[in-house]
Amino acid sequence: MGEKTVLLDRKFGHMVRTATQSHIELKSYYTPEDCKEISYETDLGDPGEYPFTRGLYPEMYRDRLWLKSFIVSYSTPEDTNAAFKQYIAHGMTDLRLLADLPTQSGIDPDHPFAWNSMMCGGVATYALHVYEKMLEGLPLENVVYELAHSGISNFIYFYSLLVALMENRGLDIAQLRGNSINDPVRAKLVYGSPDFPTHIDRRICLDHIEYSVRNTPKWRPFAPNGVDPCQGGMDAVRELGGCLAVATTICLDLIERGISIDDYGAMVFSLDAESDFFETIAKFRAARRMWARIAREKLGARTRNAMQLKIGIRTSGLSLQNQKPLNNTARVTLQILSCILGGVNSLDASSIDEAIGLPSYEARVFNLDTQHIITHEANVPLVADPLGGSYYLEWLTSRLENEVNRYLDEVEARGGIFECLESGWLKDLMEANRLRVQRERAKGKRLIVGVNAFQGEGEEGRINQAIRDVAYKAPSVVLREQKVREVKEFKQNRNQEALKRSLKEIYRATKEGRNVTRPIIEAVKTGATLGEVTGVIRLSYGIPYDPFEQIDMPPFVRQLVRECD
Amino acid sequence: MHESRKIRVLVAKIGCDIHERGALTLLYTFRDAGMEAIYTGRYQTPEAVANAAVDEDVDVIALSDHTGSMPIIASAVLEALRNRNATDIHVMAGGLISPEDAKVLNEMGVSGNYGPGTPPDLIVEHVKRLVKKATA
Repeated sequence: MGEKTVLLDRKFGHMVRTATQSHIELKSYYTPEDCKEISYETDLGDPGEYPFTRGLYPEMYRDRLWLKSFIVSYSTPEDTNAAFKQYIAHGMTDLRLLADLPTQSGIDPDHPFAWNSMMCGGVATYALHVYEKMLEGLPLENVVYELAHSGISNFIYFYSLLVALMENRGLDIAQLRGNSINDPVRAKLVYGSPDFPTHIDRRICLDHIEYSVRNTPKWRPFAPNGVDPCQGGMDAVRELGGCLAVATTICLDLIERGISIDDYGAMVFSLDAESDFFETIAKFRAARRMWARIAREKLGARTRNAMQLKIGIRTSGLSLQNQKPLNNTARVTLQILSCILGGVNSLDASSIDEAIGLPSYEARVFNLDTQHIITHEANVPLVADPLGGSYYLEWLTSRLENEVNRYLDEVEARGGIFECLESGWLKDLMEANRLRVQRERAKGKRLIVGVNAFQGEGEEGRINQAIRDVAYKAPSVVLREQKVREVKEFKQNRNQEALKRSLKEIYRATKEGRNVTRPIIEAVKTGATLGEVTGVIRLSYGIPYDPFEQIDMPPFVRQLVRECD
Repeated sequence: MHESRKIRVLVAKIGCDIHERGALTLLYTFRDAGMEAIYTGRYQTPEAVANAAVDEDVDVIALSDHTGSMPIIASAVLEALRNRNATDIHVMAGGLISPEDAKVLNEMGVSGNYGPGTPPDLIVEHVKRLVKKATA
């Protein structure tokens, strides 16, 4: 018969690392000795007290739970609208808007470059009427919207669409709530966004902020993003350091425009919830403490509000795996838990089927339900900063702060964050760390369950198969053809005179250094598309209309430029 | 002389897909495996990729896309290669590719069709096999 004896390996599945995900070496335990430099009063404070390490509010989640958020962005405005309504019914409280990939690059669907990615990753939101359809039946006042796009052209344009929609409905735009990422460093570093070069990005970013501070005070027009640099390869230190550096620089720019940090109010960062549980929690605590200190000491904040950092999260999409997708439920759950233990303000958790396609409905409801379970069954949010005082966590929080400060000094010595972007230094850093992680994985120094370890044997079972089967699929050629026809027809049926007048105003305002936001709001009401607004701004800077230099400017644009010059 | 020639691969991204990490991972995987690997960068057209492949005299084009549009993209690349009489260049693909799309791609003659997290060694072996088959 030859029955073989099963071999049992006591060391099977043993740990292979002694450092965090961001290469911070750890001891096997921590004691008061490791925390003796940390003062409760100056470094921690009670929740709600400067420097807000332990959270922004004394009552914390008892008073207001974190906002539950998703980017909802399917191929058509109808699908997207229906999904928003379904998720709201399941407890979503924060609506993140996105667009398809060509739109995020600053071009319209009838641009030849759009074809291969059209309606992928979202709706082709090329003009106001598309937004009307996408947001039909959804309230615009006092609901939190977030613009999560990549190119800087997108933030000012889609903010303008929201304002125009409110004005068209006779609503008070001062009640617009939410935020734009609007981060010019992330736009170039991670996405290489082709819409504008960096100097235009920086100006348009500031125009958006300035207009918003004066007209829509509940809108946070700037939320430096660490999620995407982190997904691109930066470690936690460079992720947080990048956000702090860009926030400081933009706030100093705003002071030049006559807007103080106290006028601006609370800062928002979009940070990444990564797989490393304690490092992620420490990062959120360090972020609040560091921003409070920078706001007070460097930017002269006097109000409490201006020293507060709100943290919006996207959990790591990159950590989710295509192999054995059921395991992603564990990853997502741990990441959500780290956010809540870290006291974040808004949370967009990636979906268990995200490595397969766009999130399916059921996978997202799972995310919301996980948050409800953590709240109501596990009772986690009852007490603010429940891990505060842990020797390990306090040591790690301070260690991160020190490392980030060192990084900030280096960025400063190299001429500041924009110079580091333009010189390629940031890109090289991101690349080097990405490669380091890749090689650690190849050498088995970093184990990913189901991918380079614990693969298991045999065919995938039915539960995993089912997760694979439900993921949302990309739009067909027929749908893309329809979209191009629709856009062409739309463009022909506008009031050309009104459109031309409004685009002229954008052209002139850009050229004369006036704030372009109000002209854009007026232009979108006449049907100006994203591609046209982007193109006209480019022209007034003397660069080609089309970021890809594939198409000529439309004849009416040529005419309006001639009339202006 | 042929023996000593390193395998040449063009890693390519077409359209406005911003997800670059897979392409970069592949680029260094090929280089670490001793191949000559070139990356087109993002925002390319099928024609530009075919031209670059011919100009750089590559053996394989490795397409990466995370939008679910690979069949549309790959068929455009194959057509561009036909237009340049360069059908001897192998086309392989990876990224977010559904099982149905993988079937369509295989029928088109596009091989690999690997998902995220595929062991790098497997992809390297696949490229070696493709090139070896052609030169045998």
